[in-house]
Amino acid sequence: MLSQTAKADAAANRIVPKTVAKLQEAVREAHQQGEPLVIEGGNTLSGMGKAPTRAARTLCTSALRKIHAYSFADLTISVGAGITLRGLRSALAEHGQFIPLDAPCAQRATVGGTLAAGWLGPRRHLYGRPRDYVIGTQIVLADGTLAHAGGMVVKNVTGYDMSKLYIGSFGTLGILTSVNFKTLPAPQSARVFIAKLPENSRLRAINAIAQLNVPPAAALWVYGFRKAIDGEDGNDGRIFILHEGSAALIERASRDVRTALGRAGVPETQIIDTGALGAFDRILDACSATIGQRSITYRFSGNLDDAETRLRATYVATHQSGLAAESLLDLMNGDLYARISGKDAHAFCERIEALDDALHVQIPKAVVVACESPIRQVLNVWGSTPAALDRMRAVKATFDPAGTLNPGRFIGDI
Amino acid sequence: MNLHERLTEALGRDAVKTQPEDLAVYAFDAYSQAAPPNAVVLPSSTQDVAAAVKISNACGEPVVPRGAGTGLCGGAVPAKGGVVISFARMNRLLALDVRNKRAHVQPGLINLELSEQIRSSGLFYAPDPSSQKVSTIGGNCATNAGGPHCLSYGTTVNHILGLEIVDERGEIFTTSLDDIGYDLTGTLVGSEGTLGIICAIDVRLMKLPESVRVWLAAFGDVEAASETVSAIIGAGIVPTALEIMDDVIVGAVEAAYGAGYPTDAGAVLLIEQAGFADDMDERESAIREIAHEHGAISWRAAKTQAECDLLWAGRKGAAGATGRYAPNYYIQDVCVPRSKLPTALHSVTQSARRHGLKVGNVFHAGDGNLHPLLMYDKRDRQQVAAVIGAGNEILQTCVDLGGTISGEHGIGYEKRDTLSLVFSTDDLATMAKMRDVFDPRRVLNPEKIFPAGVGCAEVKPPDAAYVISNR
Repeated sequence: MLSQTAKADAAANRIVPKTVAKLQEAVREAHQQGEPLVIEGGNTLSGMGKAPTRAARTLCTSALRKIHAYSFADLTISVGAGITLRGLRSALAEHGQFIPLDAPCAQRATVGGTLAAGWLGPRRHLYGRPRDYVIGTQIVLADGTLAHAGGMVVKNVTGYDMSKLYIGSFGTLGILTSVNFKTLPAPQSARVFIAKLPENSRLRAINAIAQLNVPPAAALWVYGFRKAIDGEDGNDGRIFILHEGSAALIERASRDVRTALGRAGVPETQIIDTGALGAFDRILDACSATIGQRSITYRFSGNLDDAETRLRATYVATHQSGLAAESLLDLMNGDLYARISGKDAHAFCERIEALDDALHVQIPKAVVVACESPIRQVLNVWGSTPAALDRMRAVKATFDPAGTLNPGRFIGDI
Repeated sequence: MNLHERLTEALGRDAVKTQPEDLAVYAFDAYSQAAPPNAVVLPSSTQDVAAAVKISNACGEPVVPRGAGTGLCGGAVPAKGGVVISFARMNRLLALDVRNKRAHVQPGLINLELSEQIRSSGLFYAPDPSSQKVSTIGGNCATNAGGPHCLSYGTTVNHILGLEIVDERGEIFTTSLDDIGYDLTGTLVGSEGTLGIICAIDVRLMKLPESVRVWLAAFGDVEAASETVSAIIGAGIVPTALEIMDDVIVGAVEAAYGAGYPTDAGAVLLIEQAGFADDMDERESAIREIAHEHGAISWRAAKTQAECDLLWAGRKGAAGATGRYAPNYYIQDVCVPRSKLPTALHSVTQSARRHGLKVGNVFHAGDGNLHPLLMYDKRDRQQVAAVIGAGNEILQTCVDLGGTISGEHGIGYEKRDTLSLVFSTDDLATMAKMRDVFDPRRVLNPEKIFPAGVGCAEVKPPDAAYVISNR
């Protein structure tokens, strides 16, 4: 807990510009004075990466939350980067539309932050990545310059697609201030299926889901994460499936799911129609939920083929270290989220460094997505080095030579 | 040793073209102006490409990558001479991963051939520019090519998972969407060979749809057809493709292919819906009802695969079919917000009329992506001037309507000086930062994308032939 004085200091060091011009001014000033800035949206994914080095002040985009234009008949919308995912969702819902931006904490997460973090959710196999829906961006560069990319049309090859560079750049190249999206008509209906898995049915259930003819919007195997799904775990965890589409399609999908799970030896499937998307949100929230300062959540990405190997490696290493693991395995995209926790902060800190090393030997691409403990500063939070790291460093050096924006947060201390 | 000798030594005699008659062939793409290169190489591997770039560097020659040369904006024209790197021999599917729905391909692989080669696996490669029978996946990546089915599947960039690149110094590097770090893959796609040379590509594949229906609705005029498109989208229905052809195009297509389009209509709307059988009837009746509400004078559902194919063959061959009207055509590529389509079309007609040109419209209506075809005879200087005048007016109109100057063909040489219609100096300077990182000496496909004077001032290659002449 912060003391009152510390809170006051934090407030004094926090800039929340109400306009893009004011944000530009703040960045220009920081740039001129050589004072690095921490860039923040809704502060929901701040557990990713390392805390920026040398930065005393935080610049927050949360006040830039206007809807600039919503041409719902054109299926396009332009919003301030500080609008929350929930705010964007409810504006779109009024016209029966949506954008598949799956990220934790929709009530607080901002559009700009979610994109800057390059967060990828379970529905991407069906709808595509968030980047596929961004048709234009406005960004404030490290020297305060305002630059636009793209536009308000759904197809555009006019010049470089700079938005692609900004999405997933963790605020290290510029600060997203406005984003234009293409939208989709919302699916007619959504249905969630939850099934407890009896002993030794997990692999059969996972295979059965891979064979489904109508692909679910999302399908996950969940072990632990009690807050994410009501009720008890099965002996072999649980299956969570979200289907979206027309009523007719969902009827067919329902029959397929029950038949497939039944054949895999799963006796019962619970169905949620009202609140299906709320149930899905709780799964998304779980991906970055921490248990105070005694947990860490990794994302181990990969193909579904080797998910089992990653899963086993995680459990073996965690067990050996005396810590506990819970997991979410995305059955459509292959992502494995593992939350590893200790009985208390002390036990956790004592063991996590060795476990982090051990995990990275087995799963080099392990990325930390949530960790409140300061210990994450000494962990390998980004996993293995990408092949083009030197080019990425050159990009950073050209866009932000003085290291004003989020210095040290991203891979390779970018 | 000179350039030709060094290239021959490194790549073999068979892989290097230096005769004037060979060079003349590579002076062109589908744009109207041309400039011959000093040499053409036909590499067989990424290493060959790297070697060619190093030799070009040493000889002070720029390099210009080339796929099938179907680009309409001069993207593959060696504007400053130099060495053209043709990917004609790097045209193989290298690996197919059915379970993870991805493939590793060489850039010279022809778009349609990929889908044909993998059909038995139940997968396909979705981006389908109209040139897909000849254009290459590498070239499609360079321009971030679109196509009719982009309406629901997205453009090329949405289907590219990683790249192998030869950089401006001849070094090889790879990018992958699976890697942590900046999305270089997404930024390099669509950069028209100015940030690196694409030598291998990881593509995302999709499952072939369970059910596909194709419908053709006819209207009194192109405005009614485009209002129908706006209404379908506005009703929350996004079919797989929504393509409009006006009477000028329909006439040409019918004469060429006999696709079965009604020649007495002012415009036809080709609609495709792919998906699951379960909701097809519901979709069909909803779309059909909207079409009739907006004045459709006829509605036809393709009953067989052959009928579907024929309807599509007419659409994909539309541009070529206009050869019946005039010896040359100029195809413009602009994009507007969908609801502005009727206004944009009206302006196109007015511009063409003012300049005394025949115009046909064939376009990706669902995306708001217009392709007015201005027909002319290039031997007539007045007609050439009229085409340029009308083309520029159309660009300006679409920008004024909140649109942009290229939806899917790219900027290339043709449109570089109009980029400032859409972007500020700061916007362009920001793009130029990428060029500064990846090609500081401007040796990769020079004179493309950026307006003359923006981010391309420093280096002029010595004594490169630089002939831009009317074709």
